[in-house]
Amino acid sequence: MSKFADILIDPAIVKRATRGDAKAHEILYRAFSAPVYSVCLRFTRVPAQAEDLLQETFIEVIRKISQFRGDAPVGIWIRRIAVSKALMFLRSAWHARGQSLDDDWEEITFDGRASAAGSQQHDQAMDLDAALADLPAVGRTVVWLHDVEGYTHKEIAGLMGKTESFSKSQLSRAYQRLRPMLGAEIEREDAESAMQSSILSSC
Amino acid sequence: MTEHELQDDEMNSGLSIAERDVFHAALAELEDTVPPRDVWRRIEAQARAEGLFKHRVAEGTKWFAGTGIAAAVVLAVLNIPFANTVVDSGGGNISATPPVSVANGNTTPTNLSALMVQSQQIERDLRALPGQPSLVRASTAATIEEIENRIATIDFWLSHPEVQMSPDQTEIYWRERVRLMNSLLNLRRAQAQRMAF
Repeated sequence: MSKFADILIDPAIVKRATRGDAKAHEILYRAFSAPVYSVCLRFTRVPAQAEDLLQETFIEVIRKISQFRGDAPVGIWIRRIAVSKALMFLRSAWHARGQSLDDDWEEITFDGRASAAGSQQHDQAMDLDAALADLPAVGRTVVWLHDVEGYTHKEIAGLMGKTESFSKSQLSRAYQRLRPMLGAEIEREDAESAMQSSILSSC
Repeated sequence: MTEHELQDDEMNSGLSIAERDVFHAALAELEDTVPPRDVWRRIEAQARAEGLFKHRVAEGTKWFAGTGIAAAVVLAVLNIPFANTVVDSGGGNISATPPVSVANGNTTPTNLSALMVQSQQIERDLRALPGQPSLVRASTAATIEEIENRIATIDFWLSHPEVQMSPDQTEIYWRERVRLMNSLLNLRRAQAQRMAF
């Protein structure tokens, strides 16, 4: 789950950062670079793009930290910037290809390969990383925002410039794709606990 | 999330409670990915170039004390007398004059912008290379670190607002920066080629 809220930063460090102290900013970077990079990597899947987004995020942090009021943990504030940068990147990438966010699933499902191959592959083992990577970017982003970062559909809709129905529909379609893998995992867990019970009863 | 929003989300999830639990447990186990080490250097360089950091003399002095050895190496490389520069290791002031004497006046006419462009190009080339391999020979790692320290020291002198440089001094520093960046690029390219085989 989201690491941003769990990382505690001494308020004195944040105060130093607001005064433009380079060392304090480096401490913030060391604390939050991995979660920020991970979010960017989940959204883009391309390390070079995630690195650029990480850089843009922390430059924005350095520029805007004087506006940080401390109402929420600094990590949540940094996360908001990272998510906003990553979504802006996705939107511009779609825009550059003359597509809208809604085209994302069509591109994959018309292609026909991903859903069938993905389901078969993940029937065998719980490989969530691969399963998430199989999802179209928008679906994966909605799943991540909703289930990891805890955003509501209303918030996701606001971030993506779409309706709540769009967010719900993206999540639902993503879950449909993940269900075979989740079902297989439940069966595996059930089988394991049945085996443990039978071993215990035979003792 | 409010109670109503939670209920709304549950109704629209499309997953059973068991599936949802398994999914959330698996998500919780996903590890964060650590970014490459050089990203902070890029951020710091950009922030300094845009004047986003406030420079304090005392901070600069402490920073310099920490990289005193690297600075000495740079001066040796530049083969320039350590003129007019006094660094008070007890936390005093840093001299406003960089460790460069232009008394010999051997510099060519300034072509600073060309050097800056060249430097940016090399930085782009470096960024385009794949990340460093996880296994690096100790001697290569030490050389890379030494070059990076030298570049950092030069950047310090070029960006510190307390340091006053003549155009000739600035050019010497930029020229040396480009030379070091080239060395770094060659080393990293060699590494990348070894990785490819």
